[in-house]
Amino acid sequence: MKRILKLNVNGEDLEILVEGHKTLLEVLREDLGLTGTKRGCDLGTCGACTVLIDGKPWLSCLTLAAAVQGKKITTIEGLAGDGKLHPLQSAFIEKGAIQCGFCTPGMILTAKAFLEENPHPSEEETKKAISGNLCRCTGYVKIIEAILSVSGSE
Amino acid sequence: MRLPKFEYIEPKTLREAIKALSAHPTETLLLAGGTDLLVNMKYGVVKPTTLINLRSIPKLNYILEEKETLRIGSLISLHDLYTSPLIQEKFPILSQAAREVGAYAHQVMGTIGGNLCQGNRCRFYNQSPFWRSVRPPCFKTGGEICHVIRKPKECHSTYCGDMAPVLIALGARIKVIGPQGERIFPLKRLYTQNGKKPLSLRKGEILKEVLVSQSSGKSIYLKWRWRGSIEFPIVSLALYIEKEDNKITLARVVFSGLGEGPLEISEIEKRLLGSTLEDSIIDSLSEQVTKLVSPMRTSIYSPAYKRKMAGILLREGLDKLK
Repeated sequence: MKRILKLNVNGEDLEILVEGHKTLLEVLREDLGLTGTKRGCDLGTCGACTVLIDGKPWLSCLTLAAAVQGKKITTIEGLAGDGKLHPLQSAFIEKGAIQCGFCTPGMILTAKAFLEENPHPSEEETKKAISGNLCRCTGYVKIIEAILSVSGSE
Repeated sequence: MRLPKFEYIEPKTLREAIKALSAHPTETLLLAGGTDLLVNMKYGVVKPTTLINLRSIPKLNYILEEKETLRIGSLISLHDLYTSPLIQEKFPILSQAAREVGAYAHQVMGTIGGNLCQGNRCRFYNQSPFWRSVRPPCFKTGGEICHVIRKPKECHSTYCGDMAPVLIALGARIKVIGPQGERIFPLKRLYTQNGKKPLSLRKGEILKEVLVSQSSGKSIYLKWRWRGSIEFPIVSLALYIEKEDNKITLARVVFSGLGEGPLEISEIEKRLLGSTLEDSIIDSLSEQVTKLVSPMRTSIYSPAYKRKMAGILLREGLDKLK
């Protein structure tokens, strides 16, 4: 059965009609065209589909769209503001932390939530925080460097 | 992978949820964090016709201190659990165990109640329909035979949770609420040790809260896994001991990953009583435990390896609690 879903995506209030069995990932990509959020394993293991719900990282492939009624959702498309990249996005570019880029949206959003919680993390804490976001290109070294450069703990 | 269609219900109260659950208990499932259930639904190994989202019920995500007892609402997220100053101060082992579950996002999504009620796992069960299609359905998915032991009408899927062994070691109780009212019982009794139906919850019952009493003993949780994050335990061990005059007066030894439920090893607990944890007893117990447990080949790890690791974890745990 379809239901009306009210949510705030990247600062914009939306009202959409969704089916109860659709995941947030499907709604973001297919109904809203926000394809920055990636479908990886689709089973909650790779972290590519991570979005922020009320500022915390959620796996959108394992979240029912109907269950996020009234929530504030941030996807990678909502991170840059006023034509300027978010410091994490700039750091990923500067440090060469992106290769194929598939894991990057999830990685950056997880890092954003993590740094808000722990503004000056150690390298170990950072590794642990992004351990649910798999990257098959970079070997993680440059990703860790990029996150730590934003935190000022470099 | 798409989710199959189902009816989705958002109850506003526990009473509403119980009513909906009681109406069609076999085809209705409860949704909390969804990190376990939705994966199993995508795999097609569970096929509910109705999902009840407990997260729509307010006030089930609390941590309250009452006298010597901590009451933890079943919908508190693992992240909220380990960041709670109260938990960090009173039960650091709970905080540590919650950090061991999955990764950051799983901890934000997953709840304590969902973690305690998570499904058993097996290499023949937690697989895609394509992977499973080369064999007849296993007993857990509605077939006749258990592929692990190749016998009918048995299920040896393994319990792989992190929170249950720790909470059982701490002597936690749970409060469940159902059509007949509330009942409180030791968490250990939530688990049936039957892989096909791992939980003892009755028709329409919902786990409402976990009760942990303050105690004077020392505890430790050791998790052995393939990677430092994400993974379920290959074997994990929660130990709790109380001492008087340096002699052990109470011991609880609970493993995860070795049986159809969290596994308390009473033989080891009895032998620990009165001991001062001298090296000889630790040697003897860590040898004995490898013979007392009988894990099945439900993952890529062999039973022999799991038995060996059980001994190694027990040795390490007892050494640290000296």
